[in-house]
Amino acid sequence: MIAQIIFQIIIIIALAPLLSGIMKKVKAFFQIRKGPGILQPYYDIIKLLKKDSVISENVSWIFHAAPIISFAAVLTAGLLIPIYITQLSLGFAGDLIAVIYLFALARFFTALASLDAGSSFGGMGGSREMFIASLVEPALMLSIFAVALNVGSTNLGFISQTVSSLGFDAMSPYQILAFVALFIIAIAETGRIPVDNPATHLELTMIHEAMILEYSGKQLAIVELGAMIKQLLIYSLLANIFFPWGIATGGADAAEYVLALLIFVIKIIIIGISMAVVETSTAKWRLFRLPELLSISLMLSFLAIVAFIIVKGG
Amino acid sequence: MAEVVFGSKIMQLLIAFILVSTFMILGSTRLYSCVRAFGIQSFLLACVAGIVAYSTGKYDIYIVALLTLIIKSAVIPYIFIYIIREIKVKREVDLYVNISPSLIIGGILVVISYYLIRSISIISELSSLALSASVSLVSIGLFIMISRKKAIMQMLGILIMENGLFLGAISLTNGMPLLVEIGIFFDVLIGVLIMGILIFRINKTFESIDTDLLKNLIG
Repeated sequence: MIAQIIFQIIIIIALAPLLSGIMKKVKAFFQIRKGPGILQPYYDIIKLLKKDSVISENVSWIFHAAPIISFAAVLTAGLLIPIYITQLSLGFAGDLIAVIYLFALARFFTALASLDAGSSFGGMGGSREMFIASLVEPALMLSIFAVALNVGSTNLGFISQTVSSLGFDAMSPYQILAFVALFIIAIAETGRIPVDNPATHLELTMIHEAMILEYSGKQLAIVELGAMIKQLLIYSLLANIFFPWGIATGGADAAEYVLALLIFVIKIIIIGISMAVVETSTAKWRLFRLPELLSISLMLSFLAIVAFIIVKGG
Repeated sequence: MAEVVFGSKIMQLLIAFILVSTFMILGSTRLYSCVRAFGIQSFLLACVAGIVAYSTGKYDIYIVALLTLIIKSAVIPYIFIYIIREIKVKREVDLYVNISPSLIIGGILVVISYYLIRSISIISELSSLALSASVSLVSIGLFIMISRKKAIMQMLGILIMENGLFLGAISLTNGMPLLVEIGIFFDVLIGVLIMGILIFRINKTFESIDTDLLKNLIG
């Protein structure tokens, strides 16, 4: 049980920068650039971990605590999300609502830290982040609730196991609608292009980068790694709630675990590549047009629930 | 009423996608993407007709599916694009109601049509889904006609309404007589051509296809 928890943490931390690297490479391919190597995010994090932090004299303890709290919150969420196995050791501790609020906690502390240093850029980033969060959260909840209604449980491991055992029977209108909704949310949550540009540093449009502008050195490494892990977790939410086929259920042997892990990596890479394609084929939206995009997502997840009620005659 | 047994799952998926495509029209601000979404919707409708044809084994419904594919998802979008290109209209959809409120109103319309359908005692899951999707398509089409300024969008709205009626008819009755269907297709095609000519005339007279200007007197 402890071994499973530790192994899951190791896998999450090990895979998150890889996913980020692959997405950067795919984007570079579409822009006919060579792009940095796939392993570049690892080097960046190692480099940052070796450096000292420069910290403003005016910051309070929040600035120091925020990266650690955010990182811990995201990693805890990772223990409640099925990655390669549905029988999570900590599955009893929380369900999808806990996951959503752990993400919210991480976001809250990052936004708080961005205000703490008192730079105008940071405050702007924080306010934008919360603006988007207020639109993303209801849509995220509704879309996962549509699936939870279908399965009859809010436990993510149980959802994934049930959908996996249903096979292609699980393909229902509400499932598809919820998937499209969650895909749009994933774009917003991970700060991808129609919402935020992860590649810029000195633009007025940036959101996440503006929030973490004051961080450097080891703290920046933790923040960056936290963001990558969050991205991995949201993609695995997409993969393992809607396409959990190949995930290992309880009582499997070591070979099945390895197979499940491989399938998971392939699924994540496919989602990452499709995300990169979406990112290259769209332009960054104006901030005030974002409610339109996110209300499409909200409406789709709403439709998913309505379709469920229509079909099942609730 | 014989129930469509084969592919009832696929039918559900297609109907859900048809609803999604309707929301794509409601949610986009570009004329081209509206037309593209309408093309997708008609293509999905042709798939629905194809599945009904396969499961009932009636050959005339195949012809209906083929006609839908050709006329609604190829010819009519082409006419739209031709009109947009010829009169060099601005590509944005002008709105009376903004995108987010229109999406919410669309969602409310779906719920209302579901409640309307529930009061009819319908026997199966699929026909209740199909019928409520059909009624919501009709009402959303009407809403698009009311809330958009450009004459092209009003044309699109009436075609969405027609698609909704077609969806209801094909999925509930397992296909109307071929003669009726062909008559409807002919009507739709002629209707689109007439509306297209009308739009050209509006554009010539007012130098815009904004229907707001139709209230003005021209001496």
